[in-house]
Amino acid sequence: MSIALVADGRRAGGLAVSSAGAVGLAVARRVGYAVLVLWGAVTVTFTALHLKSGSTVDVIIGQSPVSPEVRAQIISDYALDKPWLVQYFDYLGHLLRGDLGHSYNQGMDVTSAIGEQILPSFELMAAAIGLALIGSVTVAVLTAGRPRWIRSPFSLLEIVGVAVPAFWLAILLLTVFSFQLHWFPAIGANTARGLVLPAVALAAAPGATLAQILRNGLERTLDEPFVTTARSRGIGEAAVLVRHALRHALMPAITIAGWIAGALLGGAVVIENVFSRQGLGSLTVGALGRRDFPLISGVVLVAASFYVVVNLLIDAAYPLLDPRLRPDATISPTPVAGATDVTTTATTAAPTAPTATATATAATAAPAVSAPAGGGDPTPPRSPSTTDPNQEGRG
Amino acid sequence: MASTVFGLRKGGKRRPLMLAATLSAALVLAACGSGGGSTGGAAGAAGSPVRGGTLTFAINSDGNCLDPHQSPADVDGFFARSIVDSLVALSDDGTLSPWLAKSWTVSADQKTYSFVLRDDVTFSNGEKFDAAAVKANLDHIVAPTTKSQLAAGTIATYTGTTVIDATHAEVRFSAPNSAFLPSLATAYLGIEAPSTLKKPPADLCTKIVGSGPFISTGGYVKGKGIDYVRNDRYNWAPGNAKHTGPAHLNALSIRSIPEDSSRYGALTSGQVDAIASVPPVNVAALKRTPGFTIQTAAAPGGNYNYYPNTTRGPFTDVKVREAFRVGIDWSTIVQKLYFGVFPPARGPLSPSTVGYDKTIESSYAYDKAKANQLLDQAGWTGRDGQGYRTKDGERLTLVHPFLKEYTREQRDVVADQVQAAAKDIGIEVKTENPDYAGFLKNVIAGDYDLLDMSWQRASPDALRTLFGSAAVPKTGFATNLSRFTDPALDKIFADALNTTDLTRQAQLYGDAQQRITAAAAVFPVYVFHYVLGSSTKVQGLRFEPQAFPLFYDAWTTR
Repeated sequence: MSIALVADGRRAGGLAVSSAGAVGLAVARRVGYAVLVLWGAVTVTFTALHLKSGSTVDVIIGQSPVSPEVRAQIISDYALDKPWLVQYFDYLGHLLRGDLGHSYNQGMDVTSAIGEQILPSFELMAAAIGLALIGSVTVAVLTAGRPRWIRSPFSLLEIVGVAVPAFWLAILLLTVFSFQLHWFPAIGANTARGLVLPAVALAAAPGATLAQILRNGLERTLDEPFVTTARSRGIGEAAVLVRHALRHALMPAITIAGWIAGALLGGAVVIENVFSRQGLGSLTVGALGRRDFPLISGVVLVAASFYVVVNLLIDAAYPLLDPRLRPDATISPTPVAGATDVTTTATTAAPTAPTATATATAATAAPAVSAPAGGGDPTPPRSPSTTDPNQEGRG
Repeated sequence: MASTVFGLRKGGKRRPLMLAATLSAALVLAACGSGGGSTGGAAGAAGSPVRGGTLTFAINSDGNCLDPHQSPADVDGFFARSIVDSLVALSDDGTLSPWLAKSWTVSADQKTYSFVLRDDVTFSNGEKFDAAAVKANLDHIVAPTTKSQLAAGTIATYTGTTVIDATHAEVRFSAPNSAFLPSLATAYLGIEAPSTLKKPPADLCTKIVGSGPFISTGGYVKGKGIDYVRNDRYNWAPGNAKHTGPAHLNALSIRSIPEDSSRYGALTSGQVDAIASVPPVNVAALKRTPGFTIQTAAAPGGNYNYYPNTTRGPFTDVKVREAFRVGIDWSTIVQKLYFGVFPPARGPLSPSTVGYDKTIESSYAYDKAKANQLLDQAGWTGRDGQGYRTKDGERLTLVHPFLKEYTREQRDVVADQVQAAAKDIGIEVKTENPDYAGFLKNVIAGDYDLLDMSWQRASPDALRTLFGSAAVPKTGFATNLSRFTDPALDKIFADALNTTDLTRQAQLYGDAQQRITAAAAVFPVYVFHYVLGSSTKVQGLRFEPQAFPLFYDAWTTR
């Protein structure tokens, strides 16, 4: 984004300052948004836990009859006798200093407790995301627009993948591939081999959903005029699919990435349990049951950060996939005088017009392009599916 | 408390119900109950021990904190047992053997215990074991900063230890405590290297140093388990062990596999050598599978029991309590659900508890006609539209707060069936599912009619913690859930703690069981058994009195 803006500024001269300002503003907005999300998450967690009835010290002690001295020590160690507001601001104060506090029930600092478990969880999620993406893209590309006898089995598998509970699938995979065939271990999951089954089980539902969305997108796109144009230029069917249509079809898929991230977080709890993996899942479930506020809050912060990052990545991915969403295509406050290229809009898009593609050619090749309304809003085109974002460089 | 050693657990880790209780005064009583009893010794313990090899053992729960001085959890005591030794060792029959202490004497007033210690013991970090180490450990347990949730409670009247010389220590109490030595034999009062006790409690939660037969340098890793290697210098086995010198196994690896079917599959596919908590439904199949064997040990102490709140509502009337006891076919419910793996309980104590009184069992037989008669006598003669009994227009309703979130061993099914059976005699049981904090609030406030709990403890002194008036929940959680108070019973418990006359103790605890039965202060459900499944290559595994497996004498034939 910044490169594009600088290039934009270079051409537009006096606009440079305001563009740099815009960058600063955008960054500040992002950071502010992230901080706000994290603060909100902590506050909601704190409020929710403290609104529940029952006393925290009783839950920490649980069903062990302890002496009044031990009870008093627990209360004073965790400052449970202080008013809620004091506890809340104390916690925020520690948080600002990077101190997540001490878990009530894990006998260790929250940082250590989470630190011990975060890597296995991350590995599992990363492997599942990778599998879901690769699997769904492969299936979608191979089956889109194909005869029914090719598509139908995969469609059925996708429906099964979405419908079958992760728990059941995990048990099935374990039984067949670990207990019967001995291909993968059921325990000792810290190895690459141990990661395979859990990742497959976790990736199944989001992967199947993605594959459906991708194939629908692909099939819609294949009917578009620009595809006809591409074909008419003699481009092979595979290239049409992969280089033109797929890019298009990814847009709606990326949009549900946030949902997928949530599905993975939730699914990881079940998968970690079945495969006896280390991870944040079981830590979180345990902490919730025992009302372990510092630990719950720590996990919430990790999850919220994860969402913030995912959303940033999604925002960053849109312009990569659709050049019309790139800043230099939309942020320019006013149409630049002397621009030779004609801006396209979603509604008037003429995907086959070579000039239109110049908008996508990034700052180095084309001067800044005006947004149709001349405003500074980075409003995305209404209907991206009617243009071919992949025409760049082809004009 | 609770329950089970490594009971099933859905969802949560910090299984509140698994706080351990265990402990305490096991007394040498002649009459060891029938039924149950640990089947110590390996199945097919043929052949002589083989040195070497690694044993991988899977359990169904995760630890909280490895330091047994802090944690009340069964699983933590089990993890620590291989690392720490105790001053004395307890056997199934309640007898005590020397361990780190060569001998001991008790003063006439029962308040001072004098130990003569071994002088050849070193901790795995090279520190020497001596009387100062005993003092450091006991002081560490009772220090408020340790926040001990179990160990400190077992020596609540501890006033201090005097170091006489390197091998002589005197432990003093403010009141007679005949339960001290059996408590001392548990891992919860195990002896850790004194220099490590100066560390912050949090550090000890992952790593402890003892003088035991195994050493764990990596310590406990949450969600994974714990790995040990043999302590080659070990030469101070407890007097009741099957051999002396270092352990047979080179290494021991304990893994946490919470999901039942995963754990069972890991065993049958040869990925682990032995597992805890074989699901009852799989027990018969595993027995039939060549190459595998099942060992069970009945957990001593309170069974998994239901307790009536004797201080409010319909259960204040002993007739209603007795009707509930005899009017529900507890035995059939249990038999059908657990395939005989967990037998029905027939008294306030588990039959494997030293001092179990078998004569009361007949009082716990099913008799529906008698139940209806008792309810009629109690005045619950009316019937409402739904068939429930009423008195003065009020329905006979009992509220049962039930921790569904942490249920295991299909106790939720038991609850459903009890509810259905109660309806059959005109009693409405309302099962409520509060969250953990809400549940504890109910318990502490006495806001319930019926509660369920299991409470393990290797001693008939469990009766005092379950029915003594001091154990009625008031400001915090406590274990007298029936809130039953009886001065005569309290006197029996005090007398038992105050006497070393074993015949007298047997008589006292027998009387207590009779009184509790007459008062219908408990509805016994099932006797929890530790169900250990293993490959037949695993030999020499035996159970300690609390029904935890011990690895010191174990070996593998591979």
